[in-house]
Amino acid sequence: MTSNISRRKILAGLGATAGLFAAPHIARAQGSAGRVVVIGGGFGGATAARYIKLFSPDIDVVLVERDATYVTCPFSNYVLAGIRDINSITHGRDPLRQRYGVRLVRGEATAVDTSARSVKLKDGANLPYDRLVVAPGIELNYAGVPGWSERAANTVMPHAWKAGPQTVLLRRQLEAMADGGTVIIAPPANPFRCPPGPYERVSMIAWYLKTRKPKSKILVLDAKDAFSKQGLFMAGWESQYPGMITWIAGKDGGKVESVDPKGMTVTAGFGKEKGAVINVIPPQTAGKIALDAGLAESNGWCAVDPNNFASRKAQNVYVLGDASIAGQMPKSGTSANSQAKVVAANIVASLRGVQPPAAVYHNTCYSLVTPDYGISVSDTYRPGPQGPTLVPNSGGVSPARATAAQRKAEAEYTMGWYASIIADTFG
Amino acid sequence: MSFRIHALAVALVLTAGSAVAQQRIPLNDTALAAQGCNVCHGSQSYLSPTMPAIRGVDAATLYTALIELKTDKRPSTIMGRISRGYSDEQLKALADYLSKN
Repeated sequence: MTSNISRRKILAGLGATAGLFAAPHIARAQGSAGRVVVIGGGFGGATAARYIKLFSPDIDVVLVERDATYVTCPFSNYVLAGIRDINSITHGRDPLRQRYGVRLVRGEATAVDTSARSVKLKDGANLPYDRLVVAPGIELNYAGVPGWSERAANTVMPHAWKAGPQTVLLRRQLEAMADGGTVIIAPPANPFRCPPGPYERVSMIAWYLKTRKPKSKILVLDAKDAFSKQGLFMAGWESQYPGMITWIAGKDGGKVESVDPKGMTVTAGFGKEKGAVINVIPPQTAGKIALDAGLAESNGWCAVDPNNFASRKAQNVYVLGDASIAGQMPKSGTSANSQAKVVAANIVASLRGVQPPAAVYHNTCYSLVTPDYGISVSDTYRPGPQGPTLVPNSGGVSPARATAAQRKAEAEYTMGWYASIIADTFG
Repeated sequence: MSFRIHALAVALVLTAGSAVAQQRIPLNDTALAAQGCNVCHGSQSYLSPTMPAIRGVDAATLYTALIELKTDKRPSTIMGRISRGYSDEQLKALADYLSKN
């Protein structure tokens, strides 16, 4: 109720100045440092909003977000394992308003008029902008797995690839499963959100089964022939969960051809398997608003300038995070956070009419094999002709041979990374 | 050991100050690159529970640490991999910036 009232006030305030933006030749509102609208309040969008304010508090920043709170995909695998509570990975955005002056608008962006520079919301409101940040994350392709559907996902075969109720549903199914059952996990082909995520999920479900239902098995039916941190994960599975996990590559018949939600079976190249719990991670595209706004390529993802993540399709628009085609950067929360800082600096520079700073991007993804066994990939990128490109002779994954103390240290740093990136993103 | 002492000093300064009084980030190459450290190490307004605090640490101490990490003279989990993404000059500029911000 209170959020409705405050939203009406915000929209009324925006409406009062909307006339100034009606004429496209006016660069920005007189006497104002400019207005930025950000669509999406996840790792990318929230970081962009916060850093624009940190660089330049006088810029008007409006963050449009459909949901009241954000449940992070990072650490949602720990909810599945039973070592984190869903509430501990659920975050509000009030500090962005209270500490930094970001205006929060609850609503769903349904269209973008890139020539009039205006975002239309589902409730009919229009938000004018000088610069637009589009950070909608991903859209799941329910039709991408024959036999599967949104209804199947919400009942018997969850994706849990957008954290929240889906995470809780998958956790409940693991809890309800009898000891000795098989958990089937089906990861998609590249590209998709969080490349190491399915394999950390395998590890965390294995942790739960080993400690609670040790006769159970995990079958990974993969569309791919290789995956992120593969050597590290597979060595970890062998040492921590011997005999529990079978991974079948796409070339060996792992690619899922269809699923049957009624019979709880999965048919892949090598045959039909019955699962007690089945987790379908479907193919994905950029979030719907990016597609509707005409910002995506025919492959469903958004091409951007590697120097600043400016859209290749529309002026004054920036697309970042999972929705973007980011060269060698993976689709991760840390990537989105890093891209958002470069976008924020570029938007501030363009509104001031000054040269932007040079882009440098960074990604670190920690994964847990057990609660005391962490592994990581960490890389630095600079703009290149094919997008952000790895800096030669730097970065990489954790060493193949490491002591238990080193793996434990990385597990502790996993916790530190999460606390810090949440503070860095949501304030 | 010196990291630990500095972390405490930074913590005291932070708790004494107000969360609202954010320092404006300048628009230059080094300041932008330095914001990348925040996702693990925290920032002016937040200290990581597990990573060493790096802001406010003496610039020479920080630069020496970064070079030793880069050349694997100092063992690390990921900082060796990260520091090799920057030239010595860039690391020096980052150390200077982080020491003052």
